Amino acid sequence: MSVETQRSIATMRMPGGLGSLLPALILIGLFFVVPVLALLLRSVTEPAPGLQNYSALLGDGTYARVFFNTFLVAAVVTIVTVLVAFPVAWMLAIMPPALASIVFGVIILSMWTNLLTRTYAWMVLLQRTGVINRALMASGIIDQPLPLINNLTGVTIGMVYIMLPFMILPLVGTLRAIDPMTLRAAALCGASPFQAFRRILLPLSLPGIAAGGLMVFVMSLGYFVTPALLGGTSNMMLAEMIAQMIQSLLNWGLGSAAAFILLVVTMALYALQLRLVGARRATGGA
Amino acid sequence: MKLIFAGILAGLLTTTAAKAEDMVFTSWGGTTQEAQTKSWAEPFTAASGIKVLQDGPTDYGKLKAMVDAGNVSWDVVDVEMDFAIKAAKDGLLEPIDFTAVPKADLDPRFTTDHAVGSFYYSFVLAWNKGAVSGEPAGWADMFDLKKFPGKRTFYKWSAPGVVEIALLADGVPADKLYPLDLDRAFKKLDTIKSDIVWWSGGAESQQLIASGEAAFGQLWNGRVFALEKDGADVGASWSQNLTAADVLVVPKGAKNKEAAMKFLAAASSAAGQAKFAEASGYAPINTKAKAEMPADAVKALPDAHVDGQINLDMNYWAEHRDEIAERWYAWQAK
Repeated sequence: MSVETQRSIATMRMPGGLGSLLPALILIGLFFVVPVLALLLRSVTEPAPGLQNYSALLGDGTYARVFFNTFLVAAVVTIVTVLVAFPVAWMLAIMPPALASIVFGVIILSMWTNLLTRTYAWMVLLQRTGVINRALMASGIIDQPLPLINNLTGVTIGMVYIMLPFMILPLVGTLRAIDPMTLRAAALCGASPFQAFRRILLPLSLPGIAAGGLMVFVMSLGYFVTPALLGGTSNMMLAEMIAQMIQSLLNWGLGSAAAFILLVVTMALYALQLRLVGARRATGGA
Repeated sequence: MKLIFAGILAGLLTTTAAKAEDMVFTSWGGTTQEAQTKSWAEPFTAASGIKVLQDGPTDYGKLKAMVDAGNVSWDVVDVEMDFAIKAAKDGLLEPIDFTAVPKADLDPRFTTDHAVGSFYYSFVLAWNKGAVSGEPAGWADMFDLKKFPGKRTFYKWSAPGVVEIALLADGVPADKLYPLDLDRAFKKLDTIKSDIVWWSGGAESQQLIASGEAAFGQLWNGRVFALEKDGADVGASWSQNLTAADVLVVPKGAKNKEAAMKFLAAASSAAGQAKFAEASGYAPINTKAKAEMPADAVKALPDAHVDGQINLDMNYWAEHRDEIAERWYAWQAK
């Protein structure tokens, strides 16, 4: 096939590619872009035209603390999720395929159980009179119940558990694509297992970590049920605050402004990550 | 062919006609809405032929959104009374048609131009007998960490109740509660803040007390009533019990206003109120209802504890709802 025909095939495919994108674009336009614009409009028109909702949000210590909490929780959850997910993903990547698909099934199965049910189950496990504290106290390891719930610990445990599949799945894909020979080569060149991990496996798996990490971070930013049930009032996150503004205080202007700020920050983070991962690729890091 | 079309047309017409007579009742779910369905909706449907569809939970944001958009799918909604007063002011509610809803026997404390009482309840001090030694006598004991150590649980949301409890415990006389001294209330609450576990719904409050996760707390009397009925080892003090109410409202622009008014008449009738009160332990807002209830069911009601009972001021709350909420959530987040 000549270069010309290849090129003409490529150009012929282009419109088809755009055409197949069209339904998705229309869907996103109608049900995401338009509502977001309406949200933005509301945030600068209610209760009166102007930027007072934004100045109220950014100038108030309480709201600042809620913003800070939101990012703190999302960051802690993301880091812990990466740490827990990596060994699991690695194990899945090197397992015999038949066994791996069973383990996959178990991981995915957890996603099919109702979120509220799973969160309530954590409440039963973590509370002062819960299973974990009772067992530890009965075995004499502690004599006062550990504060595992209504605080950052409770939120982190509950959310990491829910986020794990979203981290494991992209990570397994990346890890499977790594040629095992690279590790053997490292060992042959005298690298210790840790060196091989740090200098070969970790850099090569970075795109998977970045993709999963971003997904977990962004999902955590908007999380509602788990922080509301397992966190304390001093760990209130933005989603809960927005729900309060919209549902019980009926202050839709302020709620819209808070939601819009969250959206902008999230998109900025996404852009930043694209840039960082892109840059790393450009320098040949991964 | 024509026959088929006519048949389909007739079918369509009858379904729309039937739909026009249905109405939607929205409440908070759980045991309360179950009791409302059994005590009000089912007998009402049997008597009038109007089907009552159940929806929920009540969501003030949704209610406002429906009214704003002019597409109201709820006909009768169970809401907290302070919200009802504010919503009426904001133009979100239909006025009650008191030619259709007999007013004479309704408790005037819980009746307004835009709302008919649903039920009223008291906040009481409840405790887990296994987790507390001795008997707390009143709200002040909830702030006494030496005499009564342990976690205590309070209602999480900004609503009538906790602020008043703090002020009463700090020695404010019942008749001097309003206007609320928020600074004083938060200062008092600060003294026990790290020992507070918040409950956000009735079922959670029951779970906390029944399991001993919280030794004691401020609970809705109906929830304590249900715990006692289930044989849980709980005690309760009615000293300075605080009354508040839920009311039934009709959102502005409700599609089945007439049916809604008829429903309100049935729900607030002596018979409807008596049945609901017996099932829930919450108090009837129809003054004739108690006469239709068994004696032991009457004993469980807040009406049996009017001594020292304090009525939370719904009008004050309706007026200051937003500013108190702002202070409340700021204090909680600290």
